[in-house]
Parts: sequence; structure tokens; C-alpha cells
Amino acid sequence: MSVRRVDHVMGLPISVDLRDGDAALAERAFAWLREADARFSPFKPGSEVSRLDRGELTGEELSPDLVEVLSLCDWYEQSTGGAFTARLPGRGLDPCAVVKGWAVQRAADVLREGGATSFCVNAGGDVVTAGEPEPGKPWRVGVRHPDLADRLSVVLGVRDGAVATSALYERGQHILDGRTGQPVTGLISVTVFSDDLAIADTTATAAFALGREGIGWAAAQEGCEVFIVDEDRRVHSSPGLPVHIC
Amino acid sequence: MKRAIPVLALSVAGLVPVWLYSPASGHEGEISEVAAPEAQQQTAPRSTQAAPKSTGAAPKTTQPRQQQTTQQQTTQQQAQNRSVSGPAVNTSEGTVQVQVVFQGTKIVDVKALRAPNSNPTRTALPLLRESALKAQSADIDTVSGATATSEGYKQSLQAALDGAR
Repeated sequence: MSVRRVDHVMGLPISVDLRDGDAALAERAFAWLREADARFSPFKPGSEVSRLDRGELTGEELSPDLVEVLSLCDWYEQSTGGAFTARLPGRGLDPCAVVKGWAVQRAADVLREGGATSFCVNAGGDVVTAGEPEPGKPWRVGVRHPDLADRLSVVLGVRDGAVATSALYERGQHILDGRTGQPVTGLISVTVFSDDLAIADTTATAAFALGREGIGWAAAQEGCEVFIVDEDRRVHSSPGLPVHIC
Repeated sequence: MKRAIPVLALSVAGLVPVWLYSPASGHEGEISEVAAPEAQQQTAPRSTQAAPKSTGAAPKTTQPRQQQTTQQQTTQQQAQNRSVSGPAVNTSEGTVQVQVVFQGTKIVDVKALRAPNSNPTRTALPLLRESALKAQSADIDTVSGATATSEGYKQSLQAALDGAR
């Protein structure tokens, strides 16, 4: 039995394409995502993140989940010399860049624990897959062309894996370099393949924040393969990237 | 296969701005340098390469290029090809209409039915374009790319794949 469902959670359109599970299992994944949003959104005054930021919670009172998220934030902040940060100067704690990939990976784990072996979850362009959509075929994950919304720049063939893309598609958008507080330049699209979406998504965001030096940094991350388009429309692709040969 | 249809239809319209991209001649040296690692992945027929390359030439009418492409296809796989014409699109560079040639579900060539007299001077390395041209021929299950807003989602390929529009 298969289910396709699209819902908006965490301000993102989230698509679940479940090939061997029922609507109740899909709902469990969405229920987790709504819970993650309620607990970790910096935009909800009652969330754990907002309460921590206001000093209403001590380190000992944090949930293990938030401790995990914050430790991921800290690891990437240190690894990027502060280019990636959950605490931009003059702003409150904002772990969204980690929470999104982490929560969607956990939603995929919910599907797996519920017995599903073949599914694809796409959360605002960040993808987790399991198994195969058809015997012998990988999930074919198109990567959006950075300039043209209805075109692709590459197609990846993925079985149990994750693909995340961080990009600037529209004018006026910007990602800030935590070291300078200034908008980042150098790259226009960073796609990372990994076996875990928390890793893929955070690596993509952090590489973007590093600008051109993020190309080498991301390619060197353990278990990560990259497809990066720089401002000159030059493509930087790591040799282990699972490009789907059409 | 059903999902290929919206993707293919969108691809035809989407190729109009690609046609407008034109590599500056000064970048020819860089092109071969960066294109080299891609060589083992080039499965597309030779005629695919003809389209992006010839757009880099000096401004000229499109007629000679079409004849050249037609000759190649006649000797290669004319019987299996079919062509889909996109709408005429008014752009800042003039009216553009492209025709896409499919071999099965693969895009093997892009022709300009109507094109402005001169090529735009925007700089674009063709590697992204070549990679992109190959990627259009894939039947896909999902799309990776920042789709943060509901408005952006409604207009996205992912929404077409979800059957949500």
C-alpha cells in the first residue's frame, strides 16, 4: 500500500512518498515534525529554544534532543571558524539550520521503525530516501538548476541516503557569514549527499556560509559528496557523487 | 513514465532562457579545463553537444546551424526522434522560440525556431549548462533545491511531481 502526502510544517512544504506503508504511518512522521516545530522553533515563544534563549531553562533542564541539536550547531560552528553559527550577533538563538535536517531525518527514522522500507521524504528541497521505488532502480533525485526553477543541473541516484541543497535562487535572499555578519558571496548552490540528512543539510548550509572556501571544506567532510555551483557557474563535483546516468 | 510528462513539458519552456545564455568567447580555455572530468559521463549523442557550442559563435542567423544538426540526425537516429516546440516567449533580448528534439525521453538537441539577431553577452560557463542539458533527459522522482516558501513550492517541479498543482 502506498501513500503520497504533502503538508506544510516548519514553514516548509513537506512531501512524503511512501511506497510500502499506510496513511497512519505517514501521519506519525508528520506528527513528529509538528512536535519538533513546537519544541525547537525560535519563532514560537513557548518553544524550548525560546525559553532557553530567555534564560528560563538551565543546561540541566534541556531535553536530550535539544542537547543533540545544540552540540551539532557547536560542532559546525567550530569546524567553519564561526562562518556557520546558530547565534548571529544581535540576534537570538536560531538553530533552524540544524533542526530542519535533523527533524526530517528523524521523521524518516519514524517511517523505518514503522516497517517502511521504500520511501522518499522531501522537506523544502531536502531529501531523505529509503530502499528503491522499483526493484533495481534508485530514487532519482533531480537537483534544481540554480538559475532556472523548472530545470535541473544534475540527477543523483540514491537508495538509502540524503540529499540537501542550500542555494540563493531569488534576489534579496541572503545567508550571512557568522564571522563578518555580512551576506555571503562566492557560491550560488551547494548540494551535499550523505547517508544522514542532518549531516547533509548542515554541511550544505555551512559550506554556503564559508563561500568559496566551503567547496574544499564540504568535499573533505567524512561521508559527504558534493555538487557545488560557484558564482561563475563553474561546477565542483566530488568523484564519489552518485550521478544518475540517464 | 507519467511523471516524465510534466517534467518534459516544463523543460521545453525552461530551455528558452538557456538559449539566451551564451558563453563569452574568452572562456574557451576554461571550458575544456573544467569539462574534462565529465567526459566519462557523456552518454548523449554528438548532436547534443552541437547546440550549446554553436551558441557561443559570433552572432548569426540560426539557419545554418539547423541544417547542420539535421544532417547529423539524418545519419544517426532520425527515425526515433520527435520534436516538441515551445511557445514564443518575449524576452529582453527579443522573441525566442525553441524546439526540443527527444529521442525517447532524452533531450538530444535544442533548436532555435526564432531567436534574437544577436546573442546576449552574459557570461556563463557551459559546464553547468552541459550538465543541465543532460539532466533534463532524466525521469525523476523528486527535486532537491531550496523551496522555502509555499508560493515557490506551487511553482516548483516538486509540486508537479506531487501532483499538487
